[in-house]
Amino acid sequence: MATPAELPQLPEPVELPKRTKRTKRSPIARRQARTAYVFLAPALIFFAIFFYYPIADILNTSMLTGQRTDEFAGFDNYTNAFEDPQARNAFKVTLQFAVATTVGAIVLGMGLAVLINQKLRGSLAFKLALLVPYLTSIAVVGLMWRNILDPELGILNRILSDLGLPTQEWLNTHPVATIVAVTLWMTTGYTMILFLAGLQGIPDVYYEAAKVDGANGWQRFRRITVPLLTPTTLFVSVMAVITGLQAFGQAYIITRGGPGEASDLFVFHIFELAFRARNFGYASALSVLLLLVIVAFTLVQLRIGRDREVQH
Amino acid sequence: MTARTYKTIAYVLLTVASLITVVPLLYTVSLSLQTEKEMLSAESVLWPESPQWGNYSTLFEEAPFGSFILNSLVVAGAIALSHLIFDPLVGYVFAKFDFPFKNTLFVAILATLMIPLFVRMIPLYVMMSDLGWLDSYQGLIVPFLMDGFGIFLMRQFIQPIPDDLIHAARVDGANEFTIYWRIILPQCKPALAVLGLFTFVFQWNEFLWPLVVTTSERMRTIPVGLTQFSQEQFQLWHLTAAGSVIMFVPTALLLIFSQRYFVRGIALTGLK
Repeated sequence: MATPAELPQLPEPVELPKRTKRTKRSPIARRQARTAYVFLAPALIFFAIFFYYPIADILNTSMLTGQRTDEFAGFDNYTNAFEDPQARNAFKVTLQFAVATTVGAIVLGMGLAVLINQKLRGSLAFKLALLVPYLTSIAVVGLMWRNILDPELGILNRILSDLGLPTQEWLNTHPVATIVAVTLWMTTGYTMILFLAGLQGIPDVYYEAAKVDGANGWQRFRRITVPLLTPTTLFVSVMAVITGLQAFGQAYIITRGGPGEASDLFVFHIFELAFRARNFGYASALSVLLLLVIVAFTLVQLRIGRDREVQH
Repeated sequence: MTARTYKTIAYVLLTVASLITVVPLLYTVSLSLQTEKEMLSAESVLWPESPQWGNYSTLFEEAPFGSFILNSLVVAGAIALSHLIFDPLVGYVFAKFDFPFKNTLFVAILATLMIPLFVRMIPLYVMMSDLGWLDSYQGLIVPFLMDGFGIFLMRQFIQPIPDDLIHAARVDGANEFTIYWRIILPQCKPALAVLGLFTFVFQWNEFLWPLVVTTSERMRTIPVGLTQFSQEQFQLWHLTAAGSVIMFVPTALLLIFSQRYFVRGIALTGLK
């Protein structure tokens, strides 16, 4: 009996068997098809209603003025978005946040994975310790760090003042950098696990051969580990960009988008527009634009990956 | 540099990194046990003189945390149960049946993985409002009854099960549902355990949708209830910390019960 440990590590590409010619189906095949559709019916209805209908609906709503009951506005919501300084600011902040969390995820995740891959004793304990934050709700993580970083009551500043050092107001002076750090605190363990899976696919003989040739540790990392991890790095970066662009709780809980609009993450901005200002039309248009940006990033990253693989 | 020094450096760096992840969580436990005076003092209190276990009961007096916990249990439990019912069934159909439009439908289901929640947020809110499901269990639960990832996971797991088992049962006259129930499902137990646990923990932690769909205090789940509580009572940090510790319990149980497997599981289910 298989155990979860033997489950496939990462999704394999979906193979699409082609039916060569359209022949008349046998009664058995028809009965099989009927059974399949009976079993599938609830799922197909569910995905149609809760995934495909919303996409159609958001495209529709994004063309309405104000609330969805209002009148048709054509592409006005879209054109307005490009001139709206608040939307542009939210986009800029979100892009900075996504790029910084992605770079951080790759550097820290790969670094820790390489360290833990030294076949150390107690590596399971390290993995568990580093993964705990990833399994914790953003609500808990956000509230915890808002408290720790609080200028007056936070433990960090109290320790700094105990040591006679100047206290800091991280959330006011560097709000984006601070929520980037908190996000990396939360997600790095997960990135590390993905890199670890990638590292375990690199055959030892490459390293042994390099050692024979006199390559030092840094050269082996630079010439063997980094290039052979390219598929993992690409997967991690696509995922980190996508999740970075969608971050919400960090702004809602830790910074409230502030000070001013300094940490106004895009989904937080959409949330405020939709559920505070009740401007469903404009908020929907911004959602569609963000989705397009996510799709564009994903395609570019996958293209880069394909070109890289061809080179090797 | 010798292999020995290299390993020592690795130990030191990993220990530092682990302390950075674990110490803030332990400090939250400490905060939840401090008196108001310790919490507000200008000096750093790393561990309270005498732990105030009473903070935990005070929390339930200050806000309806009992109903927050119950709501979270009902919502995360119902969603996990639904995934356990539907994901293997649908995965089985895609793994072992042949029927028209099979690949198109499978791709259509997998494609939903690329539709982020923020895209569904406004249309789903409007839908729930039209159905009269705002601020209700239906509104919290129904949009998450299935997802493409669980189906994909189960299909991958069921595909290697030998077809002969299924054919033999068919020859013996078992009907299709019996085959699924008696032969396929029992083989899936380990995968179902992983799927159920992770679905529960991820839904227990979900923040955005419960924030959108609930309006009254009595329907809030813990992440939302705790966040609103800390906004209304921001001077009661020690109680917020106590709430955070309570909220962490399912995660801790997941860690304890599946230590070894969950590192694998995280690479599988964390993809959502």
